[in-house]
Amino acid sequence: MDTRKKPRRPGMIIVYIVLSIASIFSLFPFLWIVVGSTNTSTDVIQGKMTFGNQWSTNITKLFGNANMSTALMNSLKIALFTVILTLLITSMAAYGFQMYKTKRKEKLYSFFLLTMMVPFASLMIPLFKLIATLHLINSVWAIILVSSASVFMVFFFRQSFVNYPSDVLEAARVDGANEVMTFFRIFVPSMKSTYAAAAIYTFMTSWNNYLWPLIVLQTNEKQTTTLLISSLSSAYTPDYGVIMSGISIATLPVIIIFFAFQRQFVEGMLGSVKQ
Amino acid sequence: MATELKRKKVGWYFITPVGILLGIFLLYPIFYSLYLTLTSTRGTLTQFTGLANYRKLFSDPSFFKALKNTFRILFLQVPLMLVLALIFAAMLNSKKLKFRGFFRTAIFLPSVTSLIAYTILFKMLFAYDGLVNSTLIKIHLLDAPIAWMQAPGTATFVLILAMIWRWTGYNMIFYLSAMQNISGDLYEAASIDGASSSQGFFKITLPLLKPMILFTTVMSTIGTLQLFDEPMNFSAGGTTASMVGPDNCFLTLSVYIYNLCFKYTPKFGYAATVSYAILIIVAILTIIQFRVSEDSDVRLERKMAKAIKRGN
Amino acid sequence: MKKLLIIMVAAILTVAPIFANGAKEAAPVADDNGPKTITVWCWDPAFNIPVMEEAGRRYTEAHPEVTFNIVEMAKADVEQKIQTILASGTKDGLPDICLVEDYNVQKYVTYYPGSFVDLSDDFNFDDFSDYKTSIGSVDGGQYSFPFDSGVAGLFYRTDMLKEAGITAADLENITWDEFCDLGEKYTAKTGKFFLAGDPSDGGFFRMMLQSSGKWYFDEDGNVDVKNNEALAKAIEIYKRMYNESFRKPTSGWTEWVSAINTGDVPTITTGIWIMGSIRQAEDQSGLWDVAPVPRLDVPGSVNASNLGGSSWCVLENGQQKNEAIEFLQETFASDADFYQTILVNQGAVGSYKAAITGSAYSANNEFFSNKPIFETMGQWSTQIPMVNVGLFTYDADAAVMANVQDYYDGKATLEETLDKIDSQLRNAML
Repeated sequence: MDTRKKPRRPGMIIVYIVLSIASIFSLFPFLWIVVGSTNTSTDVIQGKMTFGNQWSTNITKLFGNANMSTALMNSLKIALFTVILTLLITSMAAYGFQMYKTKRKEKLYSFFLLTMMVPFASLMIPLFKLIATLHLINSVWAIILVSSASVFMVFFFRQSFVNYPSDVLEAARVDGANEVMTFFRIFVPSMKSTYAAAAIYTFMTSWNNYLWPLIVLQTNEKQTTTLLISSLSSAYTPDYGVIMSGISIATLPVIIIFFAFQRQFVEGMLGSVKQ
Repeated sequence: MATELKRKKVGWYFITPVGILLGIFLLYPIFYSLYLTLTSTRGTLTQFTGLANYRKLFSDPSFFKALKNTFRILFLQVPLMLVLALIFAAMLNSKKLKFRGFFRTAIFLPSVTSLIAYTILFKMLFAYDGLVNSTLIKIHLLDAPIAWMQAPGTATFVLILAMIWRWTGYNMIFYLSAMQNISGDLYEAASIDGASSSQGFFKITLPLLKPMILFTTVMSTIGTLQLFDEPMNFSAGGTTASMVGPDNCFLTLSVYIYNLCFKYTPKFGYAATVSYAILIIVAILTIIQFRVSEDSDVRLERKMAKAIKRGN
Repeated sequence: MKKLLIIMVAAILTVAPIFANGAKEAAPVADDNGPKTITVWCWDPAFNIPVMEEAGRRYTEAHPEVTFNIVEMAKADVEQKIQTILASGTKDGLPDICLVEDYNVQKYVTYYPGSFVDLSDDFNFDDFSDYKTSIGSVDGGQYSFPFDSGVAGLFYRTDMLKEAGITAADLENITWDEFCDLGEKYTAKTGKFFLAGDPSDGGFFRMMLQSSGKWYFDEDGNVDVKNNEALAKAIEIYKRMYNESFRKPTSGWTEWVSAINTGDVPTITTGIWIMGSIRQAEDQSGLWDVAPVPRLDVPGSVNASNLGGSSWCVLENGQQKNEAIEFLQETFASDADFYQTILVNQGAVGSYKAAITGSAYSANNEFFSNKPIFETMGQWSTQIPMVNVGLFTYDADAAVMANVQDYYDGKATLEETLDKIDSQLRNAML
């Protein structure tokens, strides 16, 4: 982008003020979570904003009584498999739609897009029936398979593929590569940041998924972090210190992943909106 | 040409895996629900009733209440959030800005939290004895605590505030990405033409951002019309609560569907009918949004062409 | 060739996990002599869960081959999960015993026919309180096993009320109007709230209605709203509680309970199951007492009512149906000592008649001003009028709540409000 000096704007101070306020507003709840995880339930309710010494007690309760470690493993397992499967099949489909355009494929694509509008609540009963016939109740695969079939991700990938120079693919074909090889060997490696963005997005969505896991997973051994936090908070006498520690621990992996791949995430998002 | 045709066929194989999964886990339930709308299915008792459910819809005050609530949230929250996201993105797009990375990350960070976590947080913050009330009293902005979650107006405000907190940064990233994609030459040309930076924003950035704005509007509209986790968790807790939020202000369409299935007498057929009503509404809204943007697209393109001509 | 490859990858991806898991998680065949696990779903770790654990411990002692898997879930989650599974027609993943709120029993039994076991021949239901057994009787069958009593009381802090000059005698056998008067008096004198409440909680309505032997429906299950004097009166009382300043506004269970535990309010009027929560504030021991629940100022209303309470249902398609019935027979249906234990430990009052005469029952309770509170409330429970809760209680609750706001705000008359409730409820029942 252009690096030449533009005239200094007097509004710059306002910009800083606005952004600072927005940042404080955005970050404050995080601070509260961290502070809250070191305090007792009563302190949290009364809005104590200084660090306490209950952190280890809360964490012990969280991992001892509430079994956070199992929940973390379950969430991680579901998220990883969902990311792998989603990325593979939705990017393939997007490639199929974009690189082999036909009228019938476009029609199918529009139909897919339309299904994004169906509220999930309305699919619960038939979907559960289906999962039951497939003997997938209480199995993480019920969640992985259902969330991997993501129309949004097909849409996302296709948007990113729009500007891909087709002569690169042509050149590969001339060199004798077949279609599948072209996709996996030439195309996918050149779209790294798109895949990174998609992976992060899918990971976050999967990690935070609530309603469907709630319905499908029946036993406490299969509980995910989101379900665990939800059940902690709907207990008759919730321990807010423990809930705060639970939220902080459950949010940490997503934050770490986001920070680790922030650049790729932004680049990938950029790719999806190229015009 | 034969190879071309063959190639087009290969495209189908790429689509097949996702096609199979979507067929099983999305299309089948969708059509099954469609069938349910024609029945009076309660629990496992079912009976074909034709269009009775659709007739019932029109005399169901709860449905209209849910519709009204959903649209109230939609019309208040989505524009406010998107405008904020756009403003932040425009501010962050300036190369001269210091701490850009910090601001961007700070504003985006809320969107990594789970929907459950942030609703719990906001519910606690705005509890009667919560931090917001005690802080406002401490700094003498309030004399007595406000019962935020007890009046429909304030409760809706808290819900919308929470949603803005969670989703603004998320949408901002989309805008920011799109803005960084706009070539600096365009601004260059405009500034040579004597345009101020705010003119640059309205004449160049905004028109070029149109596809992104349309995309975020459609996605937010779909998301808000299906709003479930937030109102459900904001109102949950009471073991015998008969309302979803004060005066049912959190009764959104999806929450209503859920209650029809699991809280009241389990009317699965009617619940499916309500969800088809949502589907139809969303489809109409989306078409309108696309139409409006197409129309204005034509106008904008004309303007752009003029501007560029002048620039040259 | 390569096309084939793609198809195969796709097929494997889609199908493999299904079979892998399908095989692994196939239902184990029940073996009469082998180890058995009875799965129970219930809510409230301060009440139902430890009660079930105690019962399980006793049963496992006598039958070492039987162990228990007690799954704790939020109440709403139990209701949603059990219905999802039953509606899907699958037999996988069902518990053997499920806790069901009394208002939901008839509904579940009617709309999921064949899913719950008819227990009429397995137990002598005369051993239990009538108003509890009537809850689960559908078409001559008995589908619920009565558990906790929901007998209501007006629990209060003696020390706090004394500050406003309110004595125990002032609370005996009063009407709800008199109760509200006391609230005004208390708040005026002390500047504190008199009770905590969530205006969206329909529990108070149900408690008031039952004290008059009325419900949203008559004995035959027909809508009884328009000319329901008790309902009209209850709505008036609600308006008063909603608008006046003696109520601390709370949202949800947690805030409600915390209002008494932190000493913010001196009274809580609800089912006996609240005692466990009251006793969490150990520093308040000896300061609490209980008075009969206020009555409605309508003919036939008595100072006794019920709120909530739940029953155990046995699932027809659970893995250990017979063992589960035997378990209930040996514990909840015959073990009076068990009831004494849960009474002492959890404050759980069962509806098993033979158990309500034990020593723990008549003992003075230190926490509640050293009075025999369980015996007293046990006597009240015999006076609770029977009502037919029918299939649509929660639909009715929702219809009432959806329409009362305008009345509270003075935008509608009581008559108009009842009309609206009536038509909304009838529409919901279509």
